[in-house]
Parts: sequence; structure tokens; C-alpha cells
Amino acid sequence: MAVLQMKRIRICALKKDRKPVLELLQRRGAVEVDAAIPEDSVFSHADTSANRSVFHKNIAAAAAALEILDQYAPEQKSLFASLEGRKLKSDKDYAAFAQKYDGVMESVYRITALDRSVAENKAEIIKLESQLESLQPWLGLDLSMRFQGTGQTRAFIGTLPGGMDLESILAQLAGQNPSLPPVQVELISSSQNQTCIFAVCHKDGAAQVEEALRSIGFAQPSNPTKGTPAQRKQELETLIAQAKEEIDTAQQQIVSLAGQREQIEFTIDYFTMRSEKYEVIGELAQSKRAFVLTGYIPAKRADALQAELESRFDLAVELNDCDPSVDPPVMLQNNQFSAPVEGVLESFGLPGRGEVDPCSVMSFFYYFLFGLMLSDAAYGLLMVIGCGFALLKFKNMESGMRKTLQMFLYCGISTTFWGFMFGSFFGDLVGVVATTFFGRPDIALGPLWFEPVKEPMRMLVFSMLLGIIHLFTGLAMKAYQYAKQKAWLDILYDVGFWYMLLVGLIVYGLSTEMLPSILQLSFILPASAGTVGIAAAAIGAVGIILTAGRESRNPVKRLLKGAYGLYGVTSYLSDVLSYSRLLALGLATGVIATVINSMGSMMGGGIVGAIVFILIFLVGHTMNLAINLLGAYVHTNRLQFVEFFGKFYEGGGRAFQPFAAHTKYYNIKEETYHG
Amino acid sequence: MDNLGIVFALLGAVLAALMSGIGSAIGVGMGGEAAAGVCTDDPSKFGKVLILQLLPGTQGIYGLLIAFITLSQIGILGGSGDISLAKGLLYLAGCLPMAFVGYWSALKQAKSAVSGISLVAKRPDQSGKAIIFAAMVETYAILALLVSILAITGIGGLNI
Repeated sequence: MAVLQMKRIRICALKKDRKPVLELLQRRGAVEVDAAIPEDSVFSHADTSANRSVFHKNIAAAAAALEILDQYAPEQKSLFASLEGRKLKSDKDYAAFAQKYDGVMESVYRITALDRSVAENKAEIIKLESQLESLQPWLGLDLSMRFQGTGQTRAFIGTLPGGMDLESILAQLAGQNPSLPPVQVELISSSQNQTCIFAVCHKDGAAQVEEALRSIGFAQPSNPTKGTPAQRKQELETLIAQAKEEIDTAQQQIVSLAGQREQIEFTIDYFTMRSEKYEVIGELAQSKRAFVLTGYIPAKRADALQAELESRFDLAVELNDCDPSVDPPVMLQNNQFSAPVEGVLESFGLPGRGEVDPCSVMSFFYYFLFGLMLSDAAYGLLMVIGCGFALLKFKNMESGMRKTLQMFLYCGISTTFWGFMFGSFFGDLVGVVATTFFGRPDIALGPLWFEPVKEPMRMLVFSMLLGIIHLFTGLAMKAYQYAKQKAWLDILYDVGFWYMLLVGLIVYGLSTEMLPSILQLSFILPASAGTVGIAAAAIGAVGIILTAGRESRNPVKRLLKGAYGLYGVTSYLSDVLSYSRLLALGLATGVIATVINSMGSMMGGGIVGAIVFILIFLVGHTMNLAINLLGAYVHTNRLQFVEFFGKFYEGGGRAFQPFAAHTKYYNIKEETYHG
Repeated sequence: MDNLGIVFALLGAVLAALMSGIGSAIGVGMGGEAAAGVCTDDPSKFGKVLILQLLPGTQGIYGLLIAFITLSQIGILGGSGDISLAKGLLYLAGCLPMAFVGYWSALKQAKSAVSGISLVAKRPDQSGKAIIFAAMVETYAILALLVSILAITGIGGLNI
């Protein structure tokens, strides 16, 4: 249980060593660099934003290329890919890559260009196809659509609105102009929306015919073909085939570049690392020949790093204690048992100033409460087996994922324990199977302690008792925090008085008749204990009224604040009641499991019954496990965050973010140092 | 008239399952819409928003739980359905906390889950807090569940 102590580190080195020094620091990942030295006449900060934006552009291009590759040549990923962690790569490969990345970037741009050509050709095909579509009604015409007529005739090619037959066209034309010159009309096609016609007349009457045609809605086609429509159709089809072929070749070329995937992934990592390095370079104070790097380092790693740096380079390392007025970044260190819940703590907030790392206390309660909420031995065993298998199989897992699985492993152990205590193994599976299929209603898995479904009050009292212990532990943590700051009086004011008040009230309550009978307890404390209890509670209450508002100088205000502080006792009541969720969620798991089992056994024994039972069993218990896992996780977090942390912990610390290689695909491991 | 006991008892069981179920269905549906919106932008947030979407789903399960306990207590799942009118009404009353609180808390929890989903869309690192905000609402569903369970398991022993 600890927040690692941080030290200030200052490295003063020669500029010619800048690259190897920074690369060493990046591999070690132990220093959080900041720009603490202001610019002056000697030292200045380099502006590296231009370089970094180039790196980011390359990263974005490579990521886009990867996405394209995934589209055309998806990588075969196993179901457990997210557990496998990053592949290893030696730092020699990293150094050698400086010569290679130009080639890879070429493939990257080639992939993007090919993808663009695919997209353009696809758009082209759509355009051509719509042209083809609009050509369809004209296919019956064996002339060019731009045909104007011969020496003596004038031809009109175009459309009329709506579907019409020849007779009605002629009738309408005659209706427009009874003395219309002779005109020959041919119907090319007719649909509901338009009628395509070819009309021809003598040159002399052309104007009148055109006039009449226009007045019944004749329009020339927007996009007349040069050759006959059939020729044009063939042209268009060739163009489409060409575009399709181009798409095919481009796609094949992209697929043929899929072998570059690893190189492209490594490019992303390479530029990510360089970008991080340049960010740090921007924070260095540099003079003509030297540079100074300042930052935070965990105290326990400081000496080793100092020795390593000084043995390899000509430089000076200076280590100092942190300035007490500034909050250093926070890094947690816990043992195997408690480290898994660090992730949960991080999602609430890291310890702020003056706060201790609550992980070790919290981890114990976390596993305990989680197990109580899920409380089914079989579900617990499934969790243990699943997490244990994954942890053993995938050694190279990312640490965050490893911690999560470890946490669920411990929670699974606790779940199994409570499951046996309460006699739940897939609910009442043992009893149901024995009764339905073997005709032995006498066999059942009994609880080692008691069955919450049969004695809910007992479970409720147990839950609240746990709640009181949990809350009192929270208060004790507050006392511990004050003790670390040597604020002894505050311990009495903020913790001691509360203990007196709360314990006094509980003792008094247990000495009356009412509380034990509500809780169905078998004992009542003697009246004398009650008197002592109420006296202690009174002292505590007076103490709280007098001290809870102690930061106010005005006595009236102080008393009012104190009274308000005492009012906080109601929050303890609701906090304790909140632990009734232990009962409710535990019952939920057990009862739903029972429902599933009894649904499964409705078909009775025999082969059919067994098949139905197995089906319902698999589906039902998978769902029940999933939903109750979620419930247990959420509500364990809630009990920790709201009830437990509410007593002593606020968070608000800043995470330690060392200068390191935050790569996505590869983990760069040092083989042997060279250079 | 004496036969009406079982009718009221079943009405209670059905109400608990019905109202909590409807509330959860609406709530999970609201969450799903918001979660799908987030996933169009960033499919990698699926896991985080899925948890938030499922939070209002628990009320339906609590309702099922109460319904089931009631059904087994009143003998509909095997046993005699011989229940006095007073007991039937008591069962009905015992189921009401879960029915009503289940319905409305699922709706309200869904709203805070939807807000939580938009929080996660912008700041995925804060998903723990988003979950807690929504889970605060659930407390009241759990309290209602508790009262219903205690009431229903207690009624069987009464001598009326």
C-alpha cells in the first residue's frame, strides 16, 4: 500500500549525446519530463511542433493504409487477440528501421492511392450506369440521336410527357393545329412517365410542326448520343468493364501489399516513439553545446538510472526531494493481492495530496463484497478457471488487462467461497438434477452456513453488519491519514467523536427491546450497557457540534456548522442501509438460477427432458452469469466509491506519465546495448 | 368471494414483472440508441457503453425475482392455491414497491445512463464515474426489491 515517493531529477548532458541519452530514457520509461527551466540568454527551448506534425501525418497515413488493408485482406485474428499483448521487437530492429521507413511509407501512399482509384472508379461506374439507364428507352432508334433530317426533311427526336400511343399523339397534334403539314411520327418507346418519339416532316412545314410538338410538351433529350443509342450502349458497357477491371487490379495490388502490414504497424510505432521523443526535446533547456532535462522519477528507480546514465555518458545527474508546495505525479505500488484493484481506484481518481493509497484495504473488501453479491460456487469456479487459464496461457498480456483478470480471479475465489457457504451451485442445480433425473429428492447441496432465500432477515443483518465494519474501516483510514500528517487533534474531532457517537448509538439500540426484535436477534444488551452507550453518544454528539465547524472563527456560525455536521449522522443510516444490496443481489443470482433450473426440469426426466434441460441450462445460466457479473461489479464499485471512499478519500491526484514508448503494436525490448 | 385471494396475489406478481419489465425495456432501449450513436464514431468504446446500456436492465430482473418468489409462495408453481382474500391483498401490496419503483427508477436510470454514455463518448477514461451516476438511481430499486422480498416472504407465516 503505497504511493511511490517521487524525486526531482535534473540531467545535464552534452548535446552530442542527446539522441542516445533520450533513447535510453525512453526505453527505461522512468522519468516524467517537464519544462521547468525558463528560457534565458543561454538556454532556450526548441520548437519541435513542425517535426511532430510530420510524424503525426505519417502516423495518420499509415493508420489509414492499415484500415484499407483490413478491408481487402483482413488479418486472421484469434478470438483472444486482445489478451495476447504486443509482439516483441528488438531495439536493433528499431535502430535499423530509420533506413527502412521511406520504403514503407511508399507502400503506405501506394495503398492509399490504389484505394482512391478504387473509389473513383466505383463512382465512375455509377455515373456510367445511370447514363446506360437513361439510354434504355432510346434503344429502338437506329439513328443518331442528333439526327436533324435529310436535305428535304426535318427530323424531331425527343420525348413527350406521360405514356401515349401513336393515335393520341396524332390526335393531339391535330388538335393544336388543324392545318398541320403532313408529319410522320414513330413511337420508339412508351412508359408511364415519358414517350420517346421520332417525327419527320417536310422542311417547309418544320416550323409549324415544331410549334405544335412543343405545345403538347415535346422536349429534346438532355444528353443525345453521337452514334446510334445501341452503339453508345456498347461504348458505355466497355467503359464499365474497363472500370471494373481497374478496380480488380487495384484491389489485387492492395492485397499483394498485405505482406507489408507488419512493417506498416511498426511504422506507426516508430513515428509514435519519435513523436514522443521530439515532444521531450521541446521541453529541454538547450544551450549551444549542452542540454538540461528536468522531471520526476520514482525514488526507488533514481539511483539505478543515475548510475547507468553516468557510466555511459559524460553527464551530471542531480536528484532532489520534491518541492512540498507542488503535488508530484502519483504512481501506485501494491503487492500481488492488492495491485489488481488499482484499475478500479484509477477510474475513481488517484490519491490526492495527503491521501494514502487505499488499495490494500480496499482490495480485501472488494473481493469479499463481490463474492457476496454473486455468491454462486459454480459461477465463481467458472470465473477462476476462465481468468486463470487466460493468465497462464497469455504471458505477454498488457498489464492493465492482466490486472483486470487477476481481479476477477480473486473475486471468483471469493464468489466460490460464498457460494458454498450459502449452498448455491448453479442455484439449486444439484437438488434439481438429483430429483428430476435420478429420482433422489433426498440429495441436495446444503449450505455450509445458511440459505439467504430461506432466512432473508439473517442475511440482511449480516449485510448491515458488514456495512458497519466497512464504514468504520473507512473512518479508521481517515484517522490513519491524519496520523500521517501528524494532525492528532483532527483524529479526535473527525474520527474519535464519530466512533463514540455511532458505537454509542448502536450499543444503546441493542439494549432496547425494539431493535433486536426488528433484527430478530437472540440477545439484548443489559440496560447498564445502554446507559454507557447513550452517554458516549452524547459526548460524541457534543464534541461534533463543537468541532465540526472549527475552521469558522465566528462562534455562532461555528455552532451552526457543528450542528450541520451532526446532521451527517443520517448519512450513516442511509450508508448502512445501502449495504442491503448485498442481500438483494445475492438473492437475485440464486433465485434466477433456481428459476432457470425449474424451467429446465419442466419436461421431466428421460432423454428429451435431459436435452431440453441442457439447452435451457446453457442459455439461462450464461445470461444469468453475465447480468449478475455486471451487477456485482457495478455495485461493488459503488459501495467502494460512495460509501467507503465517502468517509476519507477524494482522489484528484495526477497519474505519473513517464517518457516512454507508448506503442500500439510492438513492444520494443532491448537486446544488448550497442553504441 | 374467498377464491379471490389467489387472483389478487397473482395480480401482484404479474404487476411486479410487468411494470419493472416495461421500465427496463424502455430504459435499455434508450441506452441502446445512445450507445449505437457512440459506436458509429468509435466502435472501440463498445464495451464501455454496453455496460451503461445494461444498467437500467436490472429492474426487469428484480421484477422477475419478485414475481417468481410470489408465484412459488402462493402455490401457483405447484402446491395448493388456497389463499385467503386478506393474504391475497397482502401479496398484492407487497409486490407494489417493486412494480412502481422498478418502473420509474428504470426510466430515470436510463436517462442518467444516456448522459453517461455521452460522457464516455467525450472522455472514455471517466467511464467509472458515469457508471456510478447511473448506479445511484438503482439504489432505490434495490430498496424496493428488499421491501418486496421481506414482505412477501413474511406474509406466508401470518395467520389470517
